[in-house]
This record gives sequence, C-alpha cells and structure tokens, in this order.
Amino acid sequence: MKLTIGTKIYAGYFLAIVIIIFFGVTAYLNTGKLLSDSKWVTHSNEVKNNITSVLSAMQDAETGQRGYIITGNESYLAPYFQGRDSIYPKLKELKGLIIDNENQTHRADLVKPLIEKKLAKMEEIIQIRRSKGFASAEAGIVAGMGKQTMDSIRAILAEMTNDENRLLIERRSIMEVTYQKTNSAVLWGIPISVIILALIGFSITRNVAKPLRQVTRTAESIANGDLSGNIASSGRNDEIGALMQSFNKMIIMLREQNQEILKGVNIIASTSSQILTSTAQIATGSAETAAAISQTTTTVEEVRQASQLSSQKAKNLSDSANMVARVSLDGQNAVDETVAGINNISKQMDEIAQTVILLSEQSQSIGGIIASVTNLADQSNLLAVNAAIEAAKAGEQGKGFAVVAQEIRNLAEQSKQATMQVRKILNDVQKATNAAVLATEQGNRAVEAGVKKSAQAGEAIRTLTESSREAVQIATQIVASSQQQLIGMDQIGMAMQNINQAGMETSISMTQAEEALTNLHELGQKLKELVEQFKM
Amino acid sequence: MKKEIHSLLKMRAVAMAFEPEQKRDTSTITEIIEFALAAESYGIESAFVREVCTLKDFTPLPGVPSFILGIVNVHGQILPVLNLNIFFNLPDRGLGELNKVIILCDDQMEFGILADEVNGTKAIYREEILPVPLTITGIGEKYLKGVTKDHMIILSAESLLSDKNIVVNEEVNQ
Repeated sequence: MKLTIGTKIYAGYFLAIVIIIFFGVTAYLNTGKLLSDSKWVTHSNEVKNNITSVLSAMQDAETGQRGYIITGNESYLAPYFQGRDSIYPKLKELKGLIIDNENQTHRADLVKPLIEKKLAKMEEIIQIRRSKGFASAEAGIVAGMGKQTMDSIRAILAEMTNDENRLLIERRSIMEVTYQKTNSAVLWGIPISVIILALIGFSITRNVAKPLRQVTRTAESIANGDLSGNIASSGRNDEIGALMQSFNKMIIMLREQNQEILKGVNIIASTSSQILTSTAQIATGSAETAAAISQTTTTVEEVRQASQLSSQKAKNLSDSANMVARVSLDGQNAVDETVAGINNISKQMDEIAQTVILLSEQSQSIGGIIASVTNLADQSNLLAVNAAIEAAKAGEQGKGFAVVAQEIRNLAEQSKQATMQVRKILNDVQKATNAAVLATEQGNRAVEAGVKKSAQAGEAIRTLTESSREAVQIATQIVASSQQQLIGMDQIGMAMQNINQAGMETSISMTQAEEALTNLHELGQKLKELVEQFKM
Repeated sequence: MKKEIHSLLKMRAVAMAFEPEQKRDTSTITEIIEFALAAESYGIESAFVREVCTLKDFTPLPGVPSFILGIVNVHGQILPVLNLNIFFNLPDRGLGELNKVIILCDDQMEFGILADEVNGTKAIYREEILPVPLTITGIGEKYLKGVTKDHMIILSAESLLSDKNIVVNEEVNQ
C-alpha cells in the first residue's frame, strides 16, 4: 500500500473518465458508420429508381409511337416526345450516380447506343407511317424493326437492377452488423463499467473510512479523558498512516504532559504545605526574636558598663607597659655585654686550636726522625752481623772483634727498643693532640652556640621592647575605642527598637502569606483532581 | 699471703726443673746466622755466609725459574737472589718484609737468599741439632741439617750451594 489516498482517488476518477471516453468514442464511430451505411442503401435505391425511370421513359416513347402508328393521330405522339426528350437527361443522371461502380458504368455505356439505335428506329417507323401509311409501318414493325434492340436494352437494365439489388442486400447486412456491434457495446459495457467503478469506489471508501473510524473512536475516548489507548500501527505510509502516527505522538505527548502536570501539582501541593509549615515556624521565630531583642537590649546595657571598666583597665595597662619597656632596655644592654665576652672566648679558643695544630705537625716531624733512627739501628744491626761473620772468618784472632760486634748488635737492639718506646709515647702524644683538637672544635661550637643564643636573647629582648611600646599604643587605642564602643552601644539600643517594630510588621505579613498559601494549596488540590480525571 | 707463697713456690719449682748446663767441648761449637722467613725461624752456618745486606734494588731476569727473584748489585758484583719460600714450595704465610739478602758462597758457587729479618749470630753445639722430624714436609730433606730445641730449622748451606737444580742452563727457543 505505497500509494497515497489522493493518488488512489485520482486513479479511480481517471479510470471512470477513461471508460466514458471509450464509450463515447465507440458510439460516435458506430453512429458515423451507420449513417454512411444507410447513405449507401439510399444510394442503391436511387440507382434502382433511375434505372426504372429510364426504362419507363423508353416504354413511354414506345407506347406513344405505337399509339401513333395505330391511329395516325399526331396527339398520340406526345408521350413519345416526352419520353424521347426525358430519356437522355435521365440516363445522364444515372451515369452520375453510378460513376463509382465500374461495372454499372460499363453497362450504362453499352445501353446508350442501343437506346439511340432504338430511338432512331422508332423515328424511322414514325416517318414511314406519316409518309407511307399504316401498312408499311406495320410491315416494318413486324419485320422486327427495333424489337431486339429493345430486348437487349431491357436485359441490360435488368442486369443493372439485379446488381444494385445485390449491393443493397450487402449494404443492409453491413449496416445490421454495425448496429449489432453498437448495441452489444452498450449492453455489455455499461454494466461492466458500473461494476468496476463500484468496486473501486467501495475499496477506496473502505480503505479510507475504516482507519478514520478507528482514529475517531480514539479521539472520542481521549475526549472522555481516557489516554490509555493507542492506535495500532498499520504500517501505512500514506496520509492515514501519517495521521495515525501523529495521533499516537499526540497521545504520548498528552500522556507525558499529563504526568508532568501531575508531578508539578504534587510538587506544588508538597511545597505549599512545606511553606505553610515554614511560615508557622517563622511566626514562632519572630516571637522568639522579640524575646531575644529585649534580652539583647539588657545585654547591651551590660556591655556598656563593661566597656567603661575596660577603658579604666587599659589605662593601667599602658602604665605597666611603659615600665616593661624600660626594664627591657636594661636587659638588652646586659645581653650586648655578654655577647662581647663570648666573642673574646671565641678568639682565645681559636688561638688554642692554632697551638694544638702546630703541636700535631711537630709530633709528625718527630715521627719522621724516629723512622730514620729505626733505619739506622737496622743498618747497625746488619753491620754487627757482618762484623760477626768477618770475625768468624778471622778465626781465633777475630774472637775479640766478635765480642765487639756482639756489643754493637746489642746497642743497635737497644736503640731500636728506645725508638719503639719513643714511637709509643709519640703515639700517645698524637692521640692526646687529636683529642685536644676535637675538644677545641667542640669548644668553638659551644662558643658559637653561645653567641647565637645571646643574639637570640638580644633579639627577644628587643622584640619585647617593641611589643611593650606597641602595647602602650594599643592601650591608648583601647581607651579611645571603648569610648566609641559606648556611643555604638547607644546606637545599638535604638536599632534594637527599630528591629522590634520590623518584627511586628513581619508577623502581620506572615499572617497574610499564610492565607495566600492556603488558597494556593486549595488551587493545587483542584488542579490535581482535574489531572487525575485522565486515565493513563 | 697464700697466693704469694704459692707463686714463690712455683717459681722455685720451675727453676729446679731446668737441667743444669754441662761443660762441653768447645770444638763442636758451630757459628750460625739466625734469620726469619715467612714466620719461621731459620739458621745457616756462618762459614758459608759472605755477608748480609739490605735489598735495595734488583733486576728481574726473564727466562728463569720463578724461585729466582732476579739479580742484585753488591759492591759492584752481580749476584742472583733466590726466594727459598718458592724454592721449597712452602705456602705463602703472611706478609714478610723480604728486604734482607744473605749472600752464601763457597769455592764454586755464590748467590743470595732472601730473608725477612736477620736476627744475628749464634753459637750452638752440633749435638743440639736434632734430626728433622717427619712433620716437616715440602722442604727436601737434603737441604736440612736439623732442628734445634727452640724450633730453629738449620739449613744445609753445602747442599744448597752444590745443588744442581739451582743452576740454570736454559736456552730460549726462537
């Protein structure tokens, strides 16, 4: 069903128009044919009449001739003349009628000389009668003058008549057929087209009306407040389909809106009740505020008295701060002296450190001397050994030398021992020196810390002085500000009265607001009832 | 008091335990040079010692066994120096100074041996030299004369000087 309703209706009307045109054209054509067929029938009848009139003219002439011959009365010649004079025009007329038919024209051409011949014979016999009398004329007629000619004329004309008759029959049957055709076309065509058009009309109506009824029913149920129904989708793409879809969308939208309204109404209802509660609370609150204001007024009076007291105290504070400033100046001087003393100690510590370092260096050079003495003792020992060897080689004479060598060796050994002792002592000295260096460093550190600490103390005392100066200033400021405070307290008392009045006004406004809210609440309830009429 | 008496008694007992030295024949006295090497104490007869000196400079020699440290210049004379530790295949025991050279000599041979310390000369009786105990291994028996009571190893200078193993006769193959 891809076609739109408009297209369907157009198609139906178009079909009806086509059928009407078909029938009109058929009737027109058939009528024309009938007319032409009947013309041809009339034409054949005319031809037949003409042939008959030609023959009758011939017979009139013959009759007249015979009458004259028999009577000799000239008056009998009148039909003869009439027939003789009328035969050629009639023959000419006949030829004009049959000019379309070759056979008939040919026959007419054949009959014309025969007629001339016959007329000439008849004239000759009339002349014979007039001049020679009846007898000779009768002889001429008996001799058969003109009889054969007349017979052949008759025969030819009879042929022509037959031919025309045959044509007439043919044309009549053609006309009959055409008539039958027209008749049947009318008889069958009208009912068939009526049926087709009726079917098309019915189907279009059905196609349009049924869904429209459905839509109408749904619309009626919406009007009655039922939003639960949906139109079943028919899957149509035409106007009806679009109408149904739009209708469904409309229903969904109405439903959503209804729900939104319901929600809104509910919110309004709850909000208005909340506001009602709040208003009641505010009313209570303003009563409390009134009570609080009277308390505050009392408190302000108390604060006023307190600030007078504080002003007095601030003056006392100022005096004592001045004293503190003086004392702290003394303290600062003492600290400065301390710093100078510590700095002296520090210098002396530096000197001690220098001395100790010198001592350390000297003990190192003593170490160097000990090493060389040890080396000497070693070499002496070797020398003693070598001397002993030499003494041994010398044998008995060398014995005394061996003793000397042994003594040298003992001396070397002793000097080695002595250097070892010196080394040991020197080690102790070096250890002590190191300890002294360490102690000096620690002393230096302690002195530095002392300098730092005394600087901090000086700083602290300076800060203290500053602070006491500031305290004096602040105390003065406190005196001034407590005066201002007193004035401010008076102003607060006045303001409190204003607040009290404003609280009264607020209370009145609250009552009015409460009334308005009650109205709003009722309105919300009504709105809710209205919305709830709709079935979802 | 008790302790003092006790220690006094003990000292006397120790003194009395010593064997009194007997007078001996002085002809069996031998003069030895006592030296230390790798925490052991050695002795060698002074008759075969030419002199003792410190090792100041030496020149290593290529193409010789590892027990030959190198050559030194002693009073203008070029002498080879041996490391007995390596020669005797002894384990390396600690760090020694190895800065003394004892120069041995006899009629045929002359070389130096390294020592950590030269302690001096000592005269001992030949009878005091005990045979080599079995526990001493590594040192070839032929290089040892014996051991004294105070664990000094007496080396045999004659066998060291006459040993063919020390003689290096090697050609460097091209």
